[in-house]
Amino acid sequence: MNRKKGLFIFLMLVPTFSVIGFLTIYPTIKGFILAFQNYTVFTFGRVRFIGWDNFAKIFSDPEFLNIVWNTVVWISVSVFFQLVLGLGLALLMRKPFKGRGIYAGLVFYPWALSGFAIGLLWSWLLNGQFGIVNDVLVRLGLIKDNIQFLSNPDTAMFSVLLVNIWYGIPFFAIMSLAALQSIPKSVYEAAQIDGAGGFKQLVSITLPYIRPTLINTILLRVIWVMNFPDVIYGMTRGGPAGSTEILSTYMINIVYYKNDFSRASAVGVLIVLFLLVYTIFYLRISGGKELEL
Amino acid sequence: MKRLLVLLLLVVLSFSLLGAKDISLKIIQVFSSPERTKILENIIADFEALNPGVTIELISPPYETAIPKVNLMMSTEQELDIVEVSDWLLSGLVSMGKLESLEPYIAASTELDYLVDGVLKSARVMNDTAYIMPNAVYVKTLFYRPDIFARFNLKNPPSTMGEMMAYARYITNGKDQFGFDWRGIDPVNFMDLVVTSFFDDIDPECMYKTVDGKLIFEDPRALEGLNFYLDLYFNTSPKDSINWGFDDQVNSFVSGITPILFQDPDTTGLLNNLLTDGAYKTAALPTGPGGKAYPTFGFAGWGIPTFSKNKEMAWKFIEFFNRPENGAYFCREYGALPVDKRVYEIDPYFSSDIFAGWAQMFAHPETYPMTEYPIDNPAWGDWFRFQGDIQERLLLKRLTPEKALQEFSKFWRDAGLMH
Amino acid sequence: MKPRKVIFGTLRWTALSMYLLFAVFPLAWIFITSIKPPQEVYTYPIRYWPSKPTGEAYVYLFEFANFFRYFVNSIFVSMAASISATFIAMLSGYVLARMRFRGRYLLTLFLFFTQMIPAYLLMIPQFSMFSDFKLINRLSGIILIYIGLGATFSTIMARGFFVRIPETLEEAAMIDGCTRLGALFRITLRLMLPGVAAVFSFSFVNNWNELFTAALFLNSDSKMTVPVALYSFISKAGIQWNVLGAGIIIALVPTIFVFSFAQKYIVAGLTQGSVKE
Repeated sequence: MNRKKGLFIFLMLVPTFSVIGFLTIYPTIKGFILAFQNYTVFTFGRVRFIGWDNFAKIFSDPEFLNIVWNTVVWISVSVFFQLVLGLGLALLMRKPFKGRGIYAGLVFYPWALSGFAIGLLWSWLLNGQFGIVNDVLVRLGLIKDNIQFLSNPDTAMFSVLLVNIWYGIPFFAIMSLAALQSIPKSVYEAAQIDGAGGFKQLVSITLPYIRPTLINTILLRVIWVMNFPDVIYGMTRGGPAGSTEILSTYMINIVYYKNDFSRASAVGVLIVLFLLVYTIFYLRISGGKELEL
Repeated sequence: MKRLLVLLLLVVLSFSLLGAKDISLKIIQVFSSPERTKILENIIADFEALNPGVTIELISPPYETAIPKVNLMMSTEQELDIVEVSDWLLSGLVSMGKLESLEPYIAASTELDYLVDGVLKSARVMNDTAYIMPNAVYVKTLFYRPDIFARFNLKNPPSTMGEMMAYARYITNGKDQFGFDWRGIDPVNFMDLVVTSFFDDIDPECMYKTVDGKLIFEDPRALEGLNFYLDLYFNTSPKDSINWGFDDQVNSFVSGITPILFQDPDTTGLLNNLLTDGAYKTAALPTGPGGKAYPTFGFAGWGIPTFSKNKEMAWKFIEFFNRPENGAYFCREYGALPVDKRVYEIDPYFSSDIFAGWAQMFAHPETYPMTEYPIDNPAWGDWFRFQGDIQERLLLKRLTPEKALQEFSKFWRDAGLMH
Repeated sequence: MKPRKVIFGTLRWTALSMYLLFAVFPLAWIFITSIKPPQEVYTYPIRYWPSKPTGEAYVYLFEFANFFRYFVNSIFVSMAASISATFIAMLSGYVLARMRFRGRYLLTLFLFFTQMIPAYLLMIPQFSMFSDFKLINRLSGIILIYIGLGATFSTIMARGFFVRIPETLEEAAMIDGCTRLGALFRITLRLMLPGVAAVFSFSFVNNWNELFTAALFLNSDSKMTVPVALYSFISKAGIQWNVLGAGIIIALVPTIFVFSFAQKYIVAGLTQGSVKE
C-alpha cells in the first residue's frame, strides 16, 4: 500500500470515526465504568467502585430470567414477522400499479412516527374498557366481550408485539423494495425462458439475490429492536406483573424508580454483551463475510 | 447644546444603572403542561414588570422526563436559580447537597405568616430544614359524577368507605357501567388511603406507622383494609384498569364509566375543560371503619440551588409567587390548593362546589388528620415500583393479601423505617 | 394460465387492501380525534365522528403552544444533522466498500458494535461531557449528537450501496485521467443518488423523531423541537388527545414529504442503475 493511498483512506475515514469516537465510544467507556460504581442521587460526591455488586443485584432479581426470556421472545417474534410481512408487502408492491405512490405513503407512514407516540396511541386504541379496537370488534360481531389486551398478562405480550410488528413492517418493506428493484430484469427473462414458475423464481432468483440485504437488515434490526423500548414503555411500562418487561425497559425502570444510574448502566453492559454474543453466532451461521447492505 | 449634553448624560446614566442591575434568572418546573407553562409565564411577566432589569427564563421539560433531567442538571451544576422540587426529588437533591437551606430567608420574611397549617412542616421533612418553599399543595379527595349518580337515584356522595362500596356495587353492571375508578400503575396513594381508613391511630408523622410505633402492615386492620380495597377492584372496577395510569383514569371518569374517583386538585384543570359545568363535584374522602380518613400533603415547591449566583433575587421571586393574588391565580387556573390562607378569603372559587371536598376535610382535622409519607427514606422511589408490582400480583391472584402485607413490612424493615 | 393469474391478482388485491386498512386505521382515528371538540374526545359510547368538526386543536397548537417555532427548530436540526451525517458517511462508506486495506472488515464490524450500545448507557456520560464543553441547551450540541447517531448507520448503509455499483465505471474514468475523488464525485455519486437519498431520508426521519436527547439537552422554550413539544402535552394531569393528535398529524408532514421525495430515488432510481449494468 503506498503512502498516498493510505493518506486518502485515513482522511476519508477521519470525520465519521472521530465523531463516533467522541460521541459514542468515549461515553461508552465511561458508562462501563459507571456500571462498577455506586452512582445514585444519594451517593453523589461519594461515588466509589463496588466491583460486581450491581451485576449481582441484577442476577439475584427473581424476575431476571423472566426478563431475559421476554427479551428473546420480543426480539425474535418481532423481527420474524416484520421480515416476513415486510418482504411480502414488498413483493406485492413490486409490480407498479396505479396509485402505488399514494399507497406507499399510506402504508409506510408508521415508519415516520416516533416510537413513543406509537406506544401511547396504541395503548389508547387497545384499552380494554373504552378502546376503539374493542368497540369495532364488538360491533362487527367478531368478539362478544372486550379483550383485555394490555391488562391481562397472557395477552399483553401479544399486544405489544402486534404493535411493534405494525411499526416495523414498513422498514423491512422499504429495504426489501429497494433491494428487489436492483435485480436486473434479464435474470427473470432468462428464467421465464427456462419455464420457471412464480414460486420457483422467488426461491431460486429473488431470495438469493436480496439475501445479503436481508442478512444485514435482520442483524441491524435485532439490535435496534433490543435497544428500542419506546413502544413497550408507552404501552405497559413492562407490566402487568412483569409480563412485558424486557432488558431495555428494565433499565429505564431502574433509572426512573430507583434513581440508580450505576445499576442501570450494568443492565446496559449486559445488553451489549447479549448483542455481541448474538452477532457472533449470527455471523457464523449466515456466513459473515457477506456483510453488506 | 448644553441641554443635549445633559440629556445624553442622563441616557447614559440610566443605561449604566440598568446595566448594572441586569439579572437573569433561570427557573425549571417539573409538572409541565402547556397550560401550566402559560400561567407561570404570566406570573413571571408581572414580576419582570415590577423589577426592571430582571429577566426570567422558564425551563419546562416534559413531565415524564423532568425528574432525571433535574437530577442531572443539579448534579452537573447547570445554570439554575430556582428549581421546582417535587416530593420525589427532594430527598435526592438534599442528599446531593445542592439545595440551599431557606431557613434564613424564611426567618426574615414577613410574607409567610399566613401559610396554611402543616405546609412548613411538610417542607421541613428532610433534616428538619426547609429546603423548599411549597408553591401549592396536593391532597387527594373524592371526585364524583352527580349526573351518573342521579341515573341510579343516588343523591349524595358516599361519606364512608362502606357506603362507597355499596354505591359502587349497586351501579356496576360489569359491562359498560362500573363504580370505582381504579388506579393500576403507580398506585401508592390510592391503596394507602383505603387501607389507613381502617385505622384510627395513624402516626401523623408517618403514614405507615401507628402512633405506638408499629408498622401498619403488621396490624390485622391492614388486612381488612387491603381486602376491602381489592374487593373494590374485583366487584366494581373494569378488569382493564390494572394497567391504567392517570390518563386512563380521567378518560374513564369523563366518559362516565367509573363515576367515583380519588384524585388530586390538578385534575380539576383538565376536567373543567372536558366536562360541562356541574358534571363533576368533589366530596371529602370517605371515612373507614376507624371513623377517619388520612389524607397526605403532596407538595411541590421552589428551591434555590447552592450554586445559584442570584439567590436574593430568586427568593424575591419565590415570595412574589406566594403572594395571595398570584397564589390564587396559579391555583385556580392550574388546579392546586393554595398555601396561603388569605387566598381562600379573596377568591370565591376556592369555596365553590368544586372545592367542597377539600373545604370539608380542612374544616374537620379530627376526622381527616393529615399524615406524611416517609419521603426522606432513600427507598421511597423504589417503593412506588414495589407496591405497584405487588398490587398487580394481588389483582391477578398470584399472591395472597397476607403474603403481600408480609412483603410490605419486610420492605420497610429492610429500608430501616423502624429505626 | 389465465385463471391462475386471476386468482393471484385477486389474492394480491385482497392482501394489499387488508394491509391498507390495518396500517391506516390508527392514522384515521388520530385525525378524527384531532378535529373533535374537547368535550367529545372521551365520550362513551365512542363517537365515530364529531358533531361539529373543528380546527380548535390545530389553532391551539400554533397559538397557545409555540408550535411554529418548534417546527422551525426541528427542521433546522434535522436538516443540518442529516446532511452532515450523509456527507461524512458517503466518504467513509466509499472507502470501506472500495479500498482494500487491513482492518477494513474490523472497522465495519466496529460500526455494527456501536449500534449495540443502548442510548441510556450513554446518557449520563454524554451529559456531563456536554456540560464540560458548554454544549447544553444549544442546538449545535443536539446537531452534533444526531450526527454521531446518524453517521454510523448511514455509513453502513452507504457502504452497501457502493458495493452494488460496478467498479468498472470508476476505473474507466480514472484511466481517462480522473483522480479517485473526481471519479467518486463525477461518476459514482451520480449513480449513488438513490443511495444518498435513502441514507439522507433515514437519517432525517430518525432525527426528526428523536425525543430523549432533545428533552434532556435542551432547556429553553425557544429551542424546543417538535417531539419534545408533543411529549409536553402529556402532563401530570393527563393527555389532551385532540391536541396531541393534531400535533402528530402536523409532525408527519415533513417526514412524508422527505419520504415521497426519496422514494422516487429509492424505488425507481435503483432500477435504472442496475439496468444500465
